[in-house]
Amino acid sequence: MTDITATTPARAVPDNTAPQEDAATILRRKEKRMAAVFLAPTVIGLGLFVVVPIIASVVLAFFRWDVITSPKWAGLDNFHSLFSDPTLRSAFANTIFFVVTTVILQLAVALGLAVLVQGIMPRWLQSTLRSVFFFPIILSAASVSIIMSYLFNQQFGLVNTYLNDLGLGSIPWFTNGFSAQVMIILIYVWQNFGFTFLLFLGGLASIPRDVYEASSIDGATGWRQFRHITLPLLSPTTLVASVMAIISALQIFDQPYVITQGGPGNSTETVVMVIYQDAFGQLQFGTASAIGVLLTIVIMLVTALQFRLSRRFVYYS
Amino acid sequence: MTDITRRVALGAAGVGTLAALTAGFPRLSGLDVPGRHGNALRIALFGTQQQAAQQDALIKAFQAENPDIKVVMIPIQASDWGGFFAKVLTMVAAGTPPDVVNVATEGAQLFAAKLAEPLDDYIRRPAERAAMQDYFSDVHPSLIESFMYKGSLYQLPANFNAANIFLSNTALHKAGYDYPPDDWTKDDFVTMLRAIKKTNPGAVPFYWANRMWGGVTPWLYINNTSILRETKSPAGAAADWLWNGFYKGVPAAQGRSGGPLWLEAQATIPSVEETFELLREMVKDGLSSSPASGGGGALVPQFASGRVATTTAGGYWVDGLAQAGVKNDQYDVQFMPKWKSQSHQFGASGWSMMRSSSRKEQAWAWLKFISSRKGMYLSAPKPTTTPCRRSLCAGSVEIDGVTHPFYSAEGPKHWKVFYETLDRFPGTGPFTAPPSEPAIELALDKNTINAVGGSASQMRSALRSLQGDLTRALETRA
Repeated sequence: MTDITATTPARAVPDNTAPQEDAATILRRKEKRMAAVFLAPTVIGLGLFVVVPIIASVVLAFFRWDVITSPKWAGLDNFHSLFSDPTLRSAFANTIFFVVTTVILQLAVALGLAVLVQGIMPRWLQSTLRSVFFFPIILSAASVSIIMSYLFNQQFGLVNTYLNDLGLGSIPWFTNGFSAQVMIILIYVWQNFGFTFLLFLGGLASIPRDVYEASSIDGATGWRQFRHITLPLLSPTTLVASVMAIISALQIFDQPYVITQGGPGNSTETVVMVIYQDAFGQLQFGTASAIGVLLTIVIMLVTALQFRLSRRFVYYS
Repeated sequence: MTDITRRVALGAAGVGTLAALTAGFPRLSGLDVPGRHGNALRIALFGTQQQAAQQDALIKAFQAENPDIKVVMIPIQASDWGGFFAKVLTMVAAGTPPDVVNVATEGAQLFAAKLAEPLDDYIRRPAERAAMQDYFSDVHPSLIESFMYKGSLYQLPANFNAANIFLSNTALHKAGYDYPPDDWTKDDFVTMLRAIKKTNPGAVPFYWANRMWGGVTPWLYINNTSILRETKSPAGAAADWLWNGFYKGVPAAQGRSGGPLWLEAQATIPSVEETFELLREMVKDGLSSSPASGGGGALVPQFASGRVATTTAGGYWVDGLAQAGVKNDQYDVQFMPKWKSQSHQFGASGWSMMRSSSRKEQAWAWLKFISSRKGMYLSAPKPTTTPCRRSLCAGSVEIDGVTHPFYSAEGPKHWKVFYETLDRFPGTGPFTAPPSEPAIELALDKNTINAVGGSASQMRSALRSLQGDLTRALETRA
């Protein structure tokens, strides 16, 4: 905070520097005003569309509300009901399974391809592949899911048609619990690894070449350089990428909703799908909000844990 | 060239933003939402902007009879009826509910319980007697009963679709079969599928989509059972003014109630298990497809190309097949085969007047018009559905002295099956759709794949899971 008294001399003692200091103060005030003007749209937007809905959602978690009638106070009932809901338990189990598998796959694929592209490919191919790998991310997840459900339709899908032509028979891609989970994971990773890939590519570019040169002189090559130089120096990027991937995977919705609607059985039902179903299927906006609050707490805890662990595993210099 | 200073650039950007905000103000503030601040009757329709535009003739005809009522059609796009109702509910939450909503069986009881105005008092007005008698005389009572909830009528049904069996004539002839008789049995059906599989190995003998309408439900109904136990509300006052009033002397109306109720899950009872077992065996033997999720959109080209020999569909499919180039004589339609009964399931749709509407008289005028012969015809001038008025469900339709082709231009040889399904089988009724229908349908879809896609023990486990999901869905709404 600016201390005006420290920079503005007392009026009783005229000073030649006074007009200059006043001008500086005025300038600073002007700058503050300009900063406020420029920041206002973002602050107002965030406030209206992020902060207010978050607060409203937390408040709603303590009410029963079906949109049509007035909300009724429910205390902690909505939270109590969550712990006895087998659907939610299974959805949390599925979500954790999705998070673990998609994050590991996403990071592994993105890192592998980033190393390959940065280290081996010629420059023109690098830029082409950057675009190719990033492309799925700009597609609508719902559109991708619809196309995938057509491609892998057990009866008439293109993939099974070719498999049948080869005499391999049809595969129940989405009509068997385990294969449906695997397919959802693969589709999700295919669509999302591009961003992680770009992060890793940036991280790799920032590792000084002389570290590799020095290690080469010491006789280190290939895997040893990757294990002892690339991975440790990429750890800040890995931290950011994994935090973002986990937060995103915890909110997985589009793919299972469009392709399997959570089935077969409850095998692909995720927490966000339960939130949607409770809110718009069952008109239980209070319960849906309570699950939302619970999911937010889980995300915050996981992220905090990651940053805590990062003290041991992340090298910033 | 003049240098552009940062100050000028920022100023220009500011002015530009201000101009964009001013130009976009109606959109940003919602002022341009159709009919929001006018005095028009706001009608929410499940469909696209293009489908809403196709209702122009209907709106013009309505306004010719009601020049003082301005109508705004609000098309709401969604992947299914559940999505449509969710969007209507967001309009309600936002304080801008429509006056009239296009509601199908899926949402009939949800709307009746929470949002819709009962129509009993409007229908019983002496001034409406003639128009309403004309309507009820032309509409099968089971359609009316399906839109009754706890003794009151909430909609005048406009169209319906019963799940019948569509047959590819090519596949049938190849298997040495002709058009099956009306009273064929489920064993006849399975035998026919085996013959089709033998003579046409590349084809799918029977295809079905995994959904409430036309999925497992028709098979449950012909086996005289259902995943939810159905009871009936007492008819109450409707027994006098409706069943013994407008429907006096109509045998099909005798014993009708105040609407169906589904309060209890029964997915594990032997008859339900028996039905799922039939489908499971058909899938296992390669007589039926493994059920895919979703509607029948992807099915049209498969049926048109002869890759699918039989499937469940309704009158709505006739125009779709014609558009895909399928000739009338390439396919036919027959009732569901007989098992313990031959009761069919149907889904219907109509128009609900919103309880919150401040334009109820105008809304009633719309409901009355759209249930007239002219209004009902104009709302669906092609066989994209089955009109609820029997007189419209014919080879051709005469409106204002002009004869229009209907099933005579597009339609299979036995198109009369569509409406006769109601006349021939009195037990025919709506699929199970309590107020929590979206959750019921989701539970059925999710568990059906497991129930028919594996062993008998997996099927029983899936039915137990279905029972649990259904019970929770019914409890939470109660």
